[in-house]
Amino acid sequence: MAEILFTNVRILDGSGQMPWAGAVLVQGNRIKQVGRTPASVSAFGATVIDAAGATLMPGLVEAHTHFSWNDAATLQEIQRMPVEEHVLWCAKVARRYLEAGWTSCVGAACAKPRLDVVIRDAIDKGQIPGPRYLAASQEITVPGGLGDETLPHVPYPEFSFGVLVNGADDMRRVVRMFLKYGVDSIKLNLSGDNFTPHAPANTTWMTDAEVAAAMEEVRLRGKRCAVHARSAASVKQALRHGVEIIYHASFTDEEALDMLEEHRDRVFVAPGMAILIAMLEAAEPWGISRARAVEMGYQIELEAAVESLRAMHKRGVRVLPGGDYGFAFTPHCDNARDLEFFVKYLGFTPMEAICSATQYGGQIMMKGNELGQIREGFLADLLLVDGDPLANLSILRDPKRLLAVMKDGRFVKAPAIAAARTMGRAA
Amino acid sequence: MANVLFTNVRVFDGSGAMPFSGEVLVQGNRIARVGRGTGTSGIGGVTVIDGAGAFLMPGMVEAHTHFSWNDQPTLDSIQRMPVEEHILWCAEVAGRYLDMGWTSCVGAATAKPRLDVVIRNAINKGDIPGPRYLAASQEITVQGGLGDESPPHLPFPELSFGAIVSGPEEMRRTVRQFVKCGVDSLKINLSGEYITGLPAELTPFSDEEVAMCVAEAERFGKRVAAHARSCESVKQCVRHGIEVIYHASFTDDEALDLLEANKDRHFVAPGLAWLVTTSSHAGQWGLTPEVTKKMGYHRELEIAVESLKKMIRRGIRILPGGDYGFAWTPHGTNARDLEYFVKYLGMSNMEALLAATAYGGPIMRMGDVLGQVREGYLADILLVDGDPLADITVLQDRKRILAVMKDGEFHRAPEVRSQRTTRWAA
Repeated sequence: MAEILFTNVRILDGSGQMPWAGAVLVQGNRIKQVGRTPASVSAFGATVIDAAGATLMPGLVEAHTHFSWNDAATLQEIQRMPVEEHVLWCAKVARRYLEAGWTSCVGAACAKPRLDVVIRDAIDKGQIPGPRYLAASQEITVPGGLGDETLPHVPYPEFSFGVLVNGADDMRRVVRMFLKYGVDSIKLNLSGDNFTPHAPANTTWMTDAEVAAAMEEVRLRGKRCAVHARSAASVKQALRHGVEIIYHASFTDEEALDMLEEHRDRVFVAPGMAILIAMLEAAEPWGISRARAVEMGYQIELEAAVESLRAMHKRGVRVLPGGDYGFAFTPHCDNARDLEFFVKYLGFTPMEAICSATQYGGQIMMKGNELGQIREGFLADLLLVDGDPLANLSILRDPKRLLAVMKDGRFVKAPAIAAARTMGRAA
Repeated sequence: MANVLFTNVRVFDGSGAMPFSGEVLVQGNRIARVGRGTGTSGIGGVTVIDGAGAFLMPGMVEAHTHFSWNDQPTLDSIQRMPVEEHILWCAEVAGRYLDMGWTSCVGAATAKPRLDVVIRNAINKGDIPGPRYLAASQEITVQGGLGDESPPHLPFPELSFGAIVSGPEEMRRTVRQFVKCGVDSLKINLSGEYITGLPAELTPFSDEEVAMCVAEAERFGKRVAAHARSCESVKQCVRHGIEVIYHASFTDDEALDLLEANKDRHFVAPGLAWLVTTSSHAGQWGLTPEVTKKMGYHRELEIAVESLKKMIRRGIRILPGGDYGFAWTPHGTNARDLEYFVKYLGMSNMEALLAATAYGGPIMRMGDVLGQVREGYLADILLVDGDPLADITVLQDRKRILAVMKDGEFHRAPEVRSQRTTRWAA
């Protein structure tokens, strides 16, 4: 079995302890040995990577990924893309995430029924490069809710990235269809969103009977449910029904926070802060001025979200990075900005931000005992970073600072060798 | 774009001349200089590839490509693949062709309406690696013809890789639909095919329908290619001016005279591998030689060999490629066609190589810039370990194809000799 020894590395192991200078031996797809000093590991016959003091850390985990969002400024644009182009788009985006250091991604919803499943399968088969991936369903919503993009006179479902349901039986039918396709999780849109003014963030759309039907099917089949829940009522609805993954959670009240704290060992919150900030600060080139964004409710929501998420963080609720990259103002692969936002807005330490992307990441991938940390026996998803992310998180967004990306023991991006040569000889 | 100098190479330039020792300079996406000997010096800023005597030749052109055939033993399996998986399959296969030295491919038909067009566009945008590609339509056919895969009780068009038409007006509508999709060529199935239970010598389309297909294609500046095994279908091709003729197994003197009289217009890509391997090498998939003999393939192979030999003698352009993408003709093994051209049709190795290069440029409609190693031509270049003029089968071996360059960029760069185990993160 091939062995790779990273020597002379600063190990940031994702456990929360401060980095140290050491060595890490990878054998096959696992971390075989973690040394406390640079010279503590020897491996005859291994490929040796002398990192000259670079940081070695676990691969990042994106908790809320939409490969099929296509970096456009509107939701309609997503469905203007035909299915063939859409699959190739997703394949390309999957590769870019991996090359950017996201070695795992939790699919949060896809725009057409099978996009996520097909991409996950192609990655697992080795047909295309991409992160470890959990495949999502489309967003299940109700007529008029977030995800319904049909016009009254053009009522065709192909226009919507969501699937519309009415009532518990209809919900059951749709959930079963996605389970048939092989999804890892079902996505429900419990609240509205300020991006769709007819269904704003503080509104709640689904009946308890509908949510209960979905959860029953999900449990029967051993799958997971994730929800779009911006309103306080939707957050509480999710917790009442035992939903594990809550996206956004912008608005909360004491009851919601108490419930979140009570279930903190089970629940993950991935707020997707970037879109709230981008709408206020970066959407002008696409016709959404700051004044317009404020009018849409983004200022109020950002303030509420910051307060809610700070409170969750204090109460020990797991808050994870990622979410709603894939729009013109939040393009794919800028995702590491979330770590900076966690520090700037939510009072995380840089170490906490790193752990949310690695240690918590392993947990949300349902592999907490073998993914997300540099530990003996863990899967070898590793990044080699030129610099100290604890001193400057933004280096994680700089491709040049990402010297190497390894997934499952194999280099996606191998470290460059120092000597470049212009003379090649055909062997 | 980096400039590359291939030095110490044997240059096979695709002109018909014997190879010579020399150098080839690539600047940008073009061949800037082709020189004899090794005199070039004083060129700064180029990457020098010392070929150590390797064989440098133009990238090969596949004249009859079906990316969407999925290396399965039945036609039915093609449409069992959902569209999402199918497009990823096509993308993978496109990469495989380029890997094996096919720097251009002529799409011969696609299994679902937009697969070829989308792959061509993705290649051209640089989203996926692949050869230069001309995108085809689905195969336009008649009810019950080759391409109609729906059983009587399951009359769903999604089950068929062909698009079924009846009558000139349906032909018009179908052609226009594919033109809207953005195809480069329309494919029409003018004859039968034994494996579908239809004799190769069947000619199912009326002249009115064929005329409509050609007229609509011409209106939009598109090309027509035909599946034409029967003698009558070959004549239909010449009569209606269908430029690309696939198979042409059965001919008579009239058909050969017609072809010869129009030999500057037509290309014939017989897809010989299909006949050879289906006849003799498909036993493990249930198609034993006894079965395929009964079907008619053995007789067709014999007759096709005679027809094609006569065409060669009359100067009709015969090109390699065709119907790779079945279990017994997997994608990427296409250079077997060159071996079969030599073995069955009596071509010299030189003629077989020219069929894959010098004729390839014109069928790509780029004859003045593609298919040869000449100054000013596009830099589609292979570096081969060995001499295809001595052993044509070296082109079937991925390891012997040391480098593949398309449009001045290495898809596969030659390996450098030194390997090191210690790396230093720069």
